[in-house]
Amino acid sequence: MNIQFSKEQLVLRDELRAYFAELMTPELSAECERDMGEGGGPLWREALYQMGRDGWIGVGWPESWGGRGLSPLEQFIFVEEVMRAGYPFPFLTTESVGPVLAEHGNAWIRAELVPKILRGELLIAIGYSEPGAGTDLASLRTSAVRDGDDWVINGQKMWTSLAHFCDYTWLAVRTDPDAPKKHRGISMFLVPHSDPGWSCTPVHTLGGVRTNATYYDNVRVSQDHLVGELNGGWKLITGQLNRERLSLINFGPVSQLFNQVTRWARTTELPAGGKVVDQPWVQQNLARCRALIECMKLIVYKQSWAMTVGQLEMADASAAKVYGSESFIEIYRMLGEVVGQAGLLRAGPGQPCPEAGRIERLYRTASIITFGGGANEIQRDIISAAGLWMPRASR
Amino acid sequence: MDFGFDEQQQEVRALARRILSEQVDARRLAAYDEYRQPRFDAALWQQLCGAGLVGVAAAQRHGGMGLGFTELALLVEEVGRSIAPLPVIAHCTAALAIQQFAADSLQEALLPAANTGKLLLSAALAEPRNEDPARPLAVRAQRDGDALVLSGSKRAVAFAAEADRILLAARVGDDVALVALDPRAPGVALSALQTTSFEPQCDIQLERVRVPAADVVCPSRGEDAMNWLAQRVTAAICAHQLGAADCAMRMAASYTSERRQFGVPVATFQAVGHRMADCYIDIECLRLTTYQAVSLLDSQQCALTEVQIAKIWAGDTGHRVSYATQHVHGGTGIDRDYPLWRYCLWLRHNEMTLGCSAAQVAALGQRLAVGEGLFS
Repeated sequence: MNIQFSKEQLVLRDELRAYFAELMTPELSAECERDMGEGGGPLWREALYQMGRDGWIGVGWPESWGGRGLSPLEQFIFVEEVMRAGYPFPFLTTESVGPVLAEHGNAWIRAELVPKILRGELLIAIGYSEPGAGTDLASLRTSAVRDGDDWVINGQKMWTSLAHFCDYTWLAVRTDPDAPKKHRGISMFLVPHSDPGWSCTPVHTLGGVRTNATYYDNVRVSQDHLVGELNGGWKLITGQLNRERLSLINFGPVSQLFNQVTRWARTTELPAGGKVVDQPWVQQNLARCRALIECMKLIVYKQSWAMTVGQLEMADASAAKVYGSESFIEIYRMLGEVVGQAGLLRAGPGQPCPEAGRIERLYRTASIITFGGGANEIQRDIISAAGLWMPRASR
Repeated sequence: MDFGFDEQQQEVRALARRILSEQVDARRLAAYDEYRQPRFDAALWQQLCGAGLVGVAAAQRHGGMGLGFTELALLVEEVGRSIAPLPVIAHCTAALAIQQFAADSLQEALLPAANTGKLLLSAALAEPRNEDPARPLAVRAQRDGDALVLSGSKRAVAFAAEADRILLAARVGDDVALVALDPRAPGVALSALQTTSFEPQCDIQLERVRVPAADVVCPSRGEDAMNWLAQRVTAAICAHQLGAADCAMRMAASYTSERRQFGVPVATFQAVGHRMADCYIDIECLRLTTYQAVSLLDSQQCALTEVQIAKIWAGDTGHRVSYATQHVHGGTGIDRDYPLWRYCLWLRHNEMTLGCSAAQVAALGQRLAVGEGLFS
């Protein structure tokens, strides 16, 4: 039991912090802010190439996958630092789909696509949900049908986030409509957005973040684009979702925001005298947030350690997802109370406090991960079944 | 970074769990309900001493096992899991403080006997309306040569009537002295309390009690030693809470998996499963914050922020798990023929002892307000 980074890991963290301080120019920061913390702009892309050239993207990947061969803990330190710097890192590509491709992809995928991911040149969106298949994902209807040596794909996906600037979609499709259990008839394909049958329309959300509906109209792909076994997609989906659940909970940015709001409260004068932080309720909100974020930190550290030693428990991955997603909402609410009226003002002219502008936006976006990446109700089902051995109602 | 336990730590935990699960059950615990007798199983205490567990963190020169605070916390967690009627927290943390701060002669006089079970230790951590262990206001001392003469009162001292020595802080002018009080010395009056958990506790009244120089742990700056001790007692209470809460949760998970209504186990209702999942998450948070605090204390690092956060979780988790587990049991949870109710008393005891969540939140908030405790 020792919940601290090694000397080497602390050196790595400091190196990364200095690296990102240089990489995040004011122009790049402004572009990321404009793009609602999603990325996709030209400076954002150039910075991603740079990280790839400098060998950071797969720092914790095994050398056999083309990575630098350090452990998931070093990978985790890298992701925390890049997010902490305010760079919207495409972690769905690099942290959740990428490793699945490196592990289960065929020779072409491993030779052609995985190296591009590590160079920052290839971005992948996730195509699971459909208009009629959300939490009950296995009822999806988008289909792939064999035609000679190719597969022809038809259907519609919802909430295909980032698809408008990605190169591929990691797509779940039905390949056996007659499978006795519906999740046994699903396969995974990589679908290039360059195909003429692929199209995308925007969906705008409460938080200002754009997501997409994507359409597949006789999209034609070769057998090479099938990932893993035919009709063996469900295992890849759950494996990817386990990784996604972890990468959704970043403690780097929220700990940074906490420090900034605390400093703001310590230095900002009240008109009647004293500082904002002198008010007992402000101290209480800050302490409550501090305790919540500390736990978030420990939960993600433990998950990274568990991945390093190969002991990732399903119940713990789900617990991390539920705890993290619900804590974010509480934290944004309580920090928003501390900054007060400024927390209702968008970033930009008239907003006196940059942190408050971020809280205004974050509070509007925080609900996404309580249902995204597997609804928290499903996660709680997993926890009571896998963590406490409680029987579950059949569905 | 290592969230696992080494072989030695796993052995300590396994040994503690084996002895306590063999020796503690609902029938034996019932002997102490409603103060029928002081809640202290002397025979089991001797067995634990004989197995080396009471001295698990004590130095080998005093007959201890020479392991660390982590091993002690794992023992305490098992005491919490079994809610065994034992003074492990009071005794073992007081022994560590004596080992850390007392002169060699006092260590020699107390610690070998403490590790073999011949001498019982405790500490006085509260005064009337004053829960800061390091800032005594109600006990004052005057110097009489190298001896001290103490008057005043301490509140709710665990195992005071059973103990042979009680660590106790007194104000001496602007300074704080720390002594190992003999509760049978002339001028000491104990009055037994009836606590919610049935833990034996006494108020202590001191009337010109003379403490010889040999029993003075810190003649001066005793607040440092008391802060050192209080952090370890607090972390130990968190470990006890962790064991007790985990046991209560697993009891409720088993019960709801067996209990059938509408023809199905009640665990299959999502409302029940989700309430238990929330317990699971709460307990995981308590576990992680507690282990973090414990491992920092083990390596003698500053852990004030981490201990405060662990105690916030100990309070919140204890309260929520107590009511969730009672609720999903229905009437069975509060039936005194079923084992859950005693756990609920201990979850409350640990929640309130050495700073409830609200007090810890306020203390942490005050430190944040002066720039302490931010993220690195």
